Amino acid sequence: MSPDNLSALRLSLQVAVAATALNALVGIPIAYVLARRRFWGKSVVDLLVTLPLVLPPTVVGYYLIVLLGRRGVLGAPLYELSGFTVAFTWYAAVIAATVMALPLLVRTVRAAIESVDRDLERAAYTLGRSELRTVLEVTLPLARNGILAGVVLAFARALGEFGATLMLAGNIPGRTATVPLSIYTAVQTGESGEALGLVAVLTVLSCLVLVVANRLGARAA
Amino acid sequence: MTSRLEVSVRKSLPGFTLDVEWHAGDGVAVLFGPSGSGKTLTLQCLAGLVRPDAGRIVVNDQVLFDAAAGIDLRPQRRRVGYVFQGYALFPHLTVRQNVGFGLRDRSRAERGQRVNDVLARLSIEAHADRYPRDLSGGQRQRVALGRALATDPSLLLLDEPLSALDLPLRQALRDELRSILTGWGTAAVLVTHDLTEAYRLGDRIVVYEDGRVIQAAPRSELLWQPSSRSVARIMGLRNLLQGVTLKATPDRIQFRWRGQTLEAVNSPIRSYLPAPDSPLAFFIRPEYVRLIRKDRDGVDSAHHMNLMSGTIVREVDFGTIWTLYFRLDEPGPPAQGDYDLEVEVPRLVYEILEIDRDRHWRFSLHRGSIHVLPSA
Repeated sequence: MSPDNLSALRLSLQVAVAATALNALVGIPIAYVLARRRFWGKSVVDLLVTLPLVLPPTVVGYYLIVLLGRRGVLGAPLYELSGFTVAFTWYAAVIAATVMALPLLVRTVRAAIESVDRDLERAAYTLGRSELRTVLEVTLPLARNGILAGVVLAFARALGEFGATLMLAGNIPGRTATVPLSIYTAVQTGESGEALGLVAVLTVLSCLVLVVANRLGARAA
Repeated sequence: MTSRLEVSVRKSLPGFTLDVEWHAGDGVAVLFGPSGSGKTLTLQCLAGLVRPDAGRIVVNDQVLFDAAAGIDLRPQRRRVGYVFQGYALFPHLTVRQNVGFGLRDRSRAERGQRVNDVLARLSIEAHADRYPRDLSGGQRQRVALGRALATDPSLLLLDEPLSALDLPLRQALRDELRSILTGWGTAAVLVTHDLTEAYRLGDRIVVYEDGRVIQAAPRSELLWQPSSRSVARIMGLRNLLQGVTLKATPDRIQFRWRGQTLEAVNSPIRSYLPAPDSPLAFFIRPEYVRLIRKDRDGVDSAHHMNLMSGTIVREVDFGTIWTLYFRLDEPGPPAQGDYDLEVEVPRLVYEILEIDRDRHWRFSLHRGSIHVLPSA
């Protein structure tokens, strides 16, 4: 495998791991709140989190530019303060992958949390546990397999992210060109041999992920 | 220690309103009533898992909830033990960890000591390191009790504690549960829709119907004096009948029913004096109807009051007892569909009297076996 491909693979893994970690950090609390709490605007939160699942990735990418680009709603003040912009860095690839993978994680984890008997949580409350401690000691351990399945799916989705990444992070070899983007470039420039190696790597990785997710899912059921 | 529980709760949900008020003392208070009558919701209000719209909950002078005063202790602070329907044991924790779950604030040594005590008292030490899925139904019940009692709660709540069990086990564990509750001495509130369970386990019985309390009384009083027709119906009493008052005095009531003149003992506690000619509800326990043997001569009016005669129209064999459906020798439509009176006889009596061959009988009712229900 060529040095370019190797760096694309390393970048892809780096982005996918970071995006998965971020996903778990943000997604599990969202999933818990959606599963267990009733609050004003819940359906809006649910909609926003799920939207990337059905929107074309380029549209999500466009919204991310509007939000985080150098002249974006959040991006502009950030640039003025620090002279830093997220766009066209590997952070942008992480953010794009995170947003695109979030629905998979939130939906899987939410279903897992909803399948935990509420009486177990109530029992913990009457035995003196706060809601947070109950989540940590009862809910999450019992939803563990579902959570792992969600994390694995999010990882797979982050690894394969293309459209939103292209929009926000661009396709800069060695900096933001992840494996899917490199495959695209290789095909575009007629280097089909180069592309084939990466295609094989992604296929094998994705199969592995699916097998793991299925096993976890089966154990959770 | 004398405990006192005062409950007054109102809670509106879509399509259902709970509005109850009752009190209880030492021992076990049973909330009895059909499914969906608000019993579990009451427990959840007591435990602080559901916040009532209005009302007041006091356990031993400690106010757990008072809407007017703005008091609402969190479930974590209420010191209320809860045995859930299906037990809700933590499946990822061992028996020991389950029982010790509520003892986190104690030192390691103290916690270990307390858990061992509880396990020993409930005879489940042998299973201490097993997981709930490896236990029998009865063992699970004991672990659930142990987990709730380990923290020395001031009140123990039990939601249908026997409903997760098979019938033969249910009866055995009912008595075991009774002795555990008595032995521990913690004031308890137990929910059930099974009348036998209510009687075996309760010192005081609170009857629920459709979100309201329709009677609250010590067990013995409820059994013999349901306060109204609806209590009697919920208790599943049979031969719930209606007659016409002839004469009522504080200790006797005479009335007409299906062409008969019957006499009943008036309730000494709440003597009921309906006006002559007013309708009168009463019930007759099927097992208290006495068939009169034909092989012995003479009918003694002192022993055979409220004498009637009729024909068996149907019968059902329940194994140890037979249920006979009698139609009285009276013209006019029977009181209960195709029959007037349901009568229960033990199998032995059925065989000795050869009831399978002889379908026409005279029978009598002691006046104390006819229970008049104040209309309500």
